[in-house]
Amino acid sequence: MNSLRGRLLIAASVVLAAFLGLTGLSLDRAFRDSALAAVEDRLQAQVYMLLGAVNVDAFNRLTLPQSLPEARFSTPDSGLYADVMDGQGTLIWHSPSLLGLALPFFPAVRNPGDTQFAPLEASDGTPLFVLAFTVSWEVARNQYQLYTFRVAETRQDFDDQVWSFRRGLWGWLLASTGVLLAAQGLILRWSLQPLRRVATEIKDIEAGRQDELSSGYPEELRPLTMNLNALLRQGRAHLERYRNALGDLAHSLKTPLAVARGALENDTDADELRRTLGEQVGRMNRTVDYQLQRAAAAGRIALSAPLPVAPLARKILDSLAKVYADRAPQLCAEIAATTVFYGDEGDLLEILGNLADNACKWCRRQVVVRVHPADHDGRMELVLEVEDDGPGIPTDQAPLLLNRGQRADPTVAGHGIGLAVVRDLVEEVYYGRLEIGRGVLGGARVRARLRFQANGG
Amino acid sequence: MRILIIEDEAALRERVTAQLREQGYAVDSAADGRTGLYLGQEYPLDAAVVDLGLPDLSGIEVIRRWRAAGRKFPVLILTARGRWQDKVEGLEAGADDYLVKPFYTEELLARLRALIRRTGGWTQAVLRCGPIALDTGAQQITLSGQAVELTAYEYKLLEYLMLHAGTVISKTELTEHLYQEDEDRDSNVLEVLVGRLRRKLDPNRDLNPIETLRGRGYRFRLERTAG
Repeated sequence: MNSLRGRLLIAASVVLAAFLGLTGLSLDRAFRDSALAAVEDRLQAQVYMLLGAVNVDAFNRLTLPQSLPEARFSTPDSGLYADVMDGQGTLIWHSPSLLGLALPFFPAVRNPGDTQFAPLEASDGTPLFVLAFTVSWEVARNQYQLYTFRVAETRQDFDDQVWSFRRGLWGWLLASTGVLLAAQGLILRWSLQPLRRVATEIKDIEAGRQDELSSGYPEELRPLTMNLNALLRQGRAHLERYRNALGDLAHSLKTPLAVARGALENDTDADELRRTLGEQVGRMNRTVDYQLQRAAAAGRIALSAPLPVAPLARKILDSLAKVYADRAPQLCAEIAATTVFYGDEGDLLEILGNLADNACKWCRRQVVVRVHPADHDGRMELVLEVEDDGPGIPTDQAPLLLNRGQRADPTVAGHGIGLAVVRDLVEEVYYGRLEIGRGVLGGARVRARLRFQANGG
Repeated sequence: MRILIIEDEAALRERVTAQLREQGYAVDSAADGRTGLYLGQEYPLDAAVVDLGLPDLSGIEVIRRWRAAGRKFPVLILTARGRWQDKVEGLEAGADDYLVKPFYTEELLARLRALIRRTGGWTQAVLRCGPIALDTGAQQITLSGQAVELTAYEYKLLEYLMLHAGTVISKTELTEHLYQEDEDRDSNVLEVLVGRLRRKLDPNRDLNPIETLRGRGYRFRLERTAG
């Protein structure tokens, strides 16, 4: 049972069948009951008619006239029969229609006013409905005699009626079941159509005929299709970054390689050659570092939970406290526990790590890391700020620092690509801005503003 | 100083080992994590250099196990990828500093010296005790501002004693930390070395920088003045 359509179809069909079946049974039962009640009423009416026709003869005996208002009593085998018994159970009259037949035994002694109704069989086995009614008849002044009037009708009519009702009922029920099942199938087909569309579109994406899922899906599917699109875009962005990084890498390695080869081919002396090779190796190393770190950036991750920033900043500061244990700078984080980052943990560590590492290199005593969300023209941004109390960065040097591989002070250990990597991460991966300025501590302040920092971005 | 190097790249491991020995360090080396883990647990190390990308047991795991076993010597990690995630992971596991490959040997030496100094409680590159100053970077000694010429072994011995100034150090500990496995470990050599150091550092016999505690070892007894 691995298809939604199959599941829905089977479940709905079972419910429908059960509902219609129970409906049919209860309707059938109700009809039978009311038909039976109608038979009883009819027989009761015949009894009253007989009572109306009764005469008492000179010997105080009950007699009934030869011709009764109901002609069927007079016609033999007509299907309508009657007889009368006295209090002792002696048959004192029977209708001419009962010719050669006898009504079945029926407990005759009863109280006046009682009615009994039962399906019984005649002496020849014909199924009948019999109604017995006992009256106390004043045959003379203060002289009462018990009589039981019995009227019977063959069950044939009743059965015919019930059968014809049943045929109609079940016929209609089956027909409507068929119609409902067909309608249900169509409804399912229509409702599940968006799912089939997703499947087709995904096949198209796999085959490369399409880049992402189209819009216009029903509300329930929209989170799925939107997140799928986000994942697809993310994958493409990754691939793009890798491709660019590889291209840039190959390209920028060619120059130092060419210089090195040139040095090897010319008749330069050993010292000169060593110096040239050393320079070019350093250059290649910086290039490789820079490009690989750029390519490793993950970016805004679709379907990822927001990361609390404070614990990650703590990790960075603890690490730096170890690395700079000799200088023991005061490392301080001003980050609310509720501040979160939407993106890759490695990216955030990279941004904070590089900025705080630089700050530690330049500071005299103090480094402060601040992270807080900010509203920028209705868009949520995450502002990361790292500042120190060092000499600061002259304004004319700032743009230079952001270029790849540039080092402001070559004597301080480090690759000098930190800021350039951060700039690429901030601007190309998180579509933000990196600003270099002067902070309240008097030293450099580097501020990164990251965009798309809210859910569903 | 006894240093352990765990690095799977043979060329790099051999180069660093040779360079450290040249600098007077006793060096043990391992090509994989398991051997390295064992050496670190069994040998009296002053520092270890651990590559993060090892074939069997990762460098991070080696450091974690050392720390769990109570081994406190400083650890410098070598990482090929300069990502902060790797650095932070290594430092969290118990490493004390990192170096991104490729590196200059001078930088590795400087970091190691700093780590070893820090473990001894020194924060400056120059160790000063009274009139004696030992520059760990230049490996030079001055006595009241006058340079003192020491042989490599004399320097190693004095550096170890001064790094642990104030604590008693047994002859066994000195031998273990100063000599390669294959070197002559005759304790008379130590006594001769200490005697020579005393003559060079205390020509007037009024300073007595190194005291002998009978049956226990030596102690550098001058107070630390800076750092």
